[in-house]
Formats: sequence, structure tokens, C-alpha cells
Amino acid sequence: MASSNTSDVTDRLTRDHIGLSDTFAARRYFRKFDQITDHLGRVAAVMASERQLTHTDVGVIGHYVTALRRSFEALSMKYLMTGRDTGTFFGSLAFDAHESGFPVFRELMTMANDALQAERHLSAMMSEADLKSEMIRAIVGDLDIPTKLQFSLSQRLYYEELFTGRLFWAQNDPEAIWLGNSGDEERRSYLVHWAVYDSQVNLPTIYLLEIEDTGKTALPKDQRRWPQVQSHLMAQAVAGLKLLTIAQGFDKDFDDLHPKRLRRIHVGPMYSSAYTHQAGPIRQVLEDARAPEGQDWTLAWTVEELESERVEQSRKGWFGKVDREIFALDPFSGRGADTGATRTERAVILPERPYQVLAEMDPPGFRDVRKFVVGAGGRVLSYR
Amino acid sequence: MADFDAQIRDSQEQVAAAQSKISDLTSRIEIARAKLQSGDDIALDIENATLDEVHAHTDLMNANIAELIMGLDDVTSGFSKDFDEMRNKTGWESFVGVFSSGKSESLRQERMRNASIDDKLQDLIGKSDVIVKLLEGQLNMLNQQKSSVEGNLTGTLDEREATVGELETLRANILAMDPKIIALEGKISVEQDAAARTKLESELAALNTSYNESVQHEQVMLAKSQTLERYIEKGKTWVDSLQNQAATQMVLINKLQTDTKQRVVLYDALSKSLKTAQQQDVAHRINEIGVQTDQEAQAAMAGIGAATNQRMADMLEAHEDHMVFARKVLEQKVKADERFARRFQKIVEKHDKNLYGA
Repeated sequence: MASSNTSDVTDRLTRDHIGLSDTFAARRYFRKFDQITDHLGRVAAVMASERQLTHTDVGVIGHYVTALRRSFEALSMKYLMTGRDTGTFFGSLAFDAHESGFPVFRELMTMANDALQAERHLSAMMSEADLKSEMIRAIVGDLDIPTKLQFSLSQRLYYEELFTGRLFWAQNDPEAIWLGNSGDEERRSYLVHWAVYDSQVNLPTIYLLEIEDTGKTALPKDQRRWPQVQSHLMAQAVAGLKLLTIAQGFDKDFDDLHPKRLRRIHVGPMYSSAYTHQAGPIRQVLEDARAPEGQDWTLAWTVEELESERVEQSRKGWFGKVDREIFALDPFSGRGADTGATRTERAVILPERPYQVLAEMDPPGFRDVRKFVVGAGGRVLSYR
Repeated sequence: MADFDAQIRDSQEQVAAAQSKISDLTSRIEIARAKLQSGDDIALDIENATLDEVHAHTDLMNANIAELIMGLDDVTSGFSKDFDEMRNKTGWESFVGVFSSGKSESLRQERMRNASIDDKLQDLIGKSDVIVKLLEGQLNMLNQQKSSVEGNLTGTLDEREATVGELETLRANILAMDPKIIALEGKISVEQDAAARTKLESELAALNTSYNESVQHEQVMLAKSQTLERYIEKGKTWVDSLQNQAATQMVLINKLQTDTKQRVVLYDALSKSLKTAQQQDVAHRINEIGVQTDQEAQAAMAGIGAATNQRMADMLEAHEDHMVFARKVLEQKVKADERFARRFQKIVEKHDKNLYGA
């Protein structure tokens, strides 16, 4: 009874995880992501020029986008030979085809596991040059397609990519950037940023938290608080938690740290008529666009933001007093209570053809969504 | 998990031993073929005894690995402890609760905020990866051996075909010779002229010699064909066995990968939904009322604690509404389980009855 229950639950949870087992489908999938991550940096730059993001923010976001791109490159190497008979029993890339379009969380965890062993694997493998000359020998000498050698080389490149590091991992631990001292008090301001690959929705999520620090030692140098802060934030980096929950928990657990502004950026989902199942107007848009390969996608980009409205003093113990933040919620109640954020901004990034169709159809759900239209040559146009 | 590591090492040793036995046998088959080529008699090295020995050993190894996979189940049972901890209060929290239920609840909440099972998930993936690597190594080796023996066998089959063809023509020749000899003998019996008779007789003698030679050659060819046949039979048995072993490896890999895939998703969903449900509503109330909220928090927590399970169910149901239906993963899981059960029934039984001692 219990086991049938469990399998039922897991069935529901993994129902939309799909393996990409066709060689060309897999390669096309990675090419698509290569393009998309390419555009992301430029879109962030446009946001910065509109003063929506500061220079520091763009730096941080750019850092994660680049890391994300590297991770995809690594995965594309790992699964380059998918669907070919390489003589090795090898899986295929599993990705979430519903409301995500990104690889499933497990892929990133497996990658982290591989990274631990990258050095060992690399030392046991032939060098790239050797593999290539072996390949030529197989092609010219044996008149054979060197599938196995190709596979070895792809794995070598994969491990090399992992070995260089600076990838987007399943968890990217918090880092702090000093922003300055505010007021005449000894209040240091920091931008703490971290990112996770959320396991529930299978999407990369970036967190930006601005805090004021009234502790004795500067936060990043405080050997007692900083590791605690890091593990607390990582444990709370769950997409299912509202920003208010995260900020309040943090405020409560650390008396001398005051969260002032918390932002969470969801990169994705990525919709593509070729790969993902989507519901709602976006499906119609992508289908009607009949865009050529490489232009048939839409990437959603959501920024949630929570700001502190005022500070109240609260009793702590018998004599002490600490600051407690009261956060501003979206004034349009109902909605605000739902999101647990001060505001939520949605944007979609899409190529010209799908945009054309979107503009013609003008579905009601998309009216207040920012639209970034990307085109050849790195052009980014923004429409309300 | 010293126990698990020891088990892994044990299995690694067994895999190495089994591999050396397997390649030993393959090399014997190859040596036999070399002897065959050089015309030596192959007093077949590959006897059934050796084959059985290899089988016994690989069976042992597979049982060991199957046990390792079942053992992983025990490793994962550690997760349920974590989940229980998330649901219930610790001893200290209950103790504090005697004096101040508010303090006890806030302690628990703090613990909840810091709880994370990601390390454990990583550990699970790592461990199952180690086993998969072990199995993949074995599978690769089996496939290599299989292809080398198969290549060998194809050559031998061609050779045997040629031998049999030769044998047939030889036999046809011998058959064709018979009437000639009879005719010659008939001629000799009626021949009156001595000179002609002598000539005919020497002709007959020559024909007889060639006949005898042919018959002798036939014997040799027959023996060769039989040896080749025996060799082929052995080779085939070995290929079959290798194939069977490879299938076993694939079943094991499949079972393990499917299991790990599902476990990671399930555990993760469970821990996160526990966290989310327990914290979310409290935060909202606290924010609205400001700071004097401890009582409020308690009231909310009491309600939520009971509702957690319901929320989990609701969340899953809501999920279902949006989903495009695809039963593939479940089917895969069922298949993997079936295959696993078919092959490792005994071990599963033993494991379930806990017959492996403490």
C-alpha cells in the first residue's frame, strides 16, 4: 500500500520530465540555449540603462548568466553523442517540458558530482590532440566513423569544462558586496547575492538581498555570523517560499542584520513549440509564428521585489530591543497577499516573429508584461 | 556510512575478479582458435567446468551488487528521519515548551528555516553514481568480450562452411570414382591380352590409391569440421552467457537509475513542501500585525501543522491539473522493478526478511 502510494506520488512529480534521446534534437536544444543566454546579458544591459537595475546588479546578474551559459555548454558536451551507438550505456538529458523548459535539477546535481571527480577522469584520459589523431587514423586507416573516439573526446571536453569551474551549480552560495555606509550610524550596507537551481520548478533563480549590518565585525569577515547567514539563506532559497517569508525569517534569526530590499529573479520558463508543452495564449503565439529553427522560443523573466516600509522596535529578552522590519506589500491587496512581495514585474524575451504574432493577438494576460524583442546582431527592443 | 563503503569495496573486488575470469575464458577461446589455425589439435580448453565457474562467480558478483542497490534503500531510510524531525519537536524544544510554548515554537521555526536535505540528496546521487560506474565498467567489458568472441566466431563459421563445402566435393568425387573402379574391374575380368591387362591393372592401382587418399582426406576433413563445430558450440555458449550477463547489468543499471531519479524528486518535493507549508502563513500574519505576534504565530502553527499533509496532497493535485499526461516514467519504473524482481527474487526475499544478519 505504502509503496504504491509512493510510486503514485513520484509519478506525478516526474511526469513532465522528458529525456532528449535524439542526437539532433539534443544539439538543437543546446544551440537554442546558447542563443538565449547570449541575449540575456544584453537584456540586462537594457534594464540597467533604464535604471531598473544598478551597475552592481547588472554585474551580479551577468556573472550568473555567464555561469549558466557555461553549465549549458558543459551539459551540451556531456550529451553531445546522445543517440549514437557509443558502446557505452549512457543516459540522455532529462528536461522539464512543462512550465520550465530547462534541464531537471538532478542533471545539475549529477554535474556537481562529476565535477568532484573531474581531475581523476582527466588524468586517466587521452589528451585532445591524441584523440584527434586517433580519429584521423580511424577515418583514413580503417575507413570508419570513430564514434567511440568522438564520445571520449566529448567526455573529455565535458570534464575540462567542469574542471575550470565557475559554472552555475545547483547551489551557488551567497557572496557579499559592500555598498557603502549609510547614515551617520555605523551601518554598513551590503548586497548579498546567491542563486539556486530550484528543484521544484527546475529553473535558475537569482536572489539579491540588500542588508544593513549593525554588528561589531563586518559581515563577510565575521567568522561566526557569515557562515550562519550563508547556510540560512541557502536553506531558505526555495521558490515555493514567498519573499516575505524569507525576509522575515532572516530578520528574526539575525538581530543585527536588517534586510531592506529583497529581489528574486526567476530566469525562465523557456517555451518552445518544438520542445515544451505549454498552456494558455503563449502556445497559440508560438504555433502561429511558425518561426524557423532558432526563433521559436520565448523566455519569461520575472522579478519579484520586496521592500522594507518601516522599522519598529521590538522587545528582545527582558531588557534588549531590536529592530524589526515591516515590509511593504502590494497595495492591491488580494494580489499582494498572494505574492508576498511589494511588486512583481514580468517580462518576456522573444525573437521578432513570435512577437509579431503576440502583438497581433494581444492576449489580455500579456498587456502588463514587458516585452524584450531580440534580433540579429544583438539588437534589443523593449515594448510595454 | 562505513558499511556502505566496505560493501562498495567488496563489490569492486568481486567485479575485478569476475572480469579477470571472463577475460581469461575469452583468451582461452582465442588461443584455441590460434591453435586451430596452426593445425594443432585443440584438446578443448574451454570445458564446461570453467564456464560454470565463471557463471558462479558472476552470479555471486551480481548478487553482491543487487544487495548494494538494496542497501542504498537503507541509506535512504535516513531521509525519513529528517522528515520526522521536520514534523516534530526535538526533546529540547518539548522541554522548553513546558515553560513557554511560544519560545518552543519559535525554536522549532528557526530549526525549520535552517533545515536542508540537499547534502543528503547529493550524497545519494554520489553513491548511486559509484554503483552505476561499477556496473557500467562491467557492462563495457562484457560487450567488448562479446564482440571479440563474436568476431572470432564469424571467422570460424566461414571456415567451417568452407570445410564442409570441401567435404561435400570430396564425397562427390569419391562417389564418382566408384563406377569408374567397377567399370575398370569389369574390364580387367574380361581382358585376355596380358599387356593390356597389366596396363589396366596399374590404372586400377592408381585409381585405388587416389580413392584411398580421398577417403583418408575425407576423414581428416570430417575431424576438422567436427572440431570446428565443437569450437563454435563453445563459443556460442560463451557469447550467450556474455549476452545474458550484459542484460543483467543493464537491468541493474536501469533499476538503480530509475530509483535514484525518483527518490531525488520525491524527497526534495517532500522536504520543500513541508518547509513552505509550515512557514508561509505565519509570515503574513506576523507582518500585518507588526511585532507582538507570538501568540498569533502559535495559533497559526497549530492549524498549519495539522494541515501540512492536506497541503501536500492539494499541491500535488493542483500540479496535476496543469500537467500534460505522460505515463512514461511510471511505466519505466514498473518495468525496471519487474525486471529487477525477476532476476533477483531471492535476494529481494532475503533482504525483505532481513536474513543478512544485523
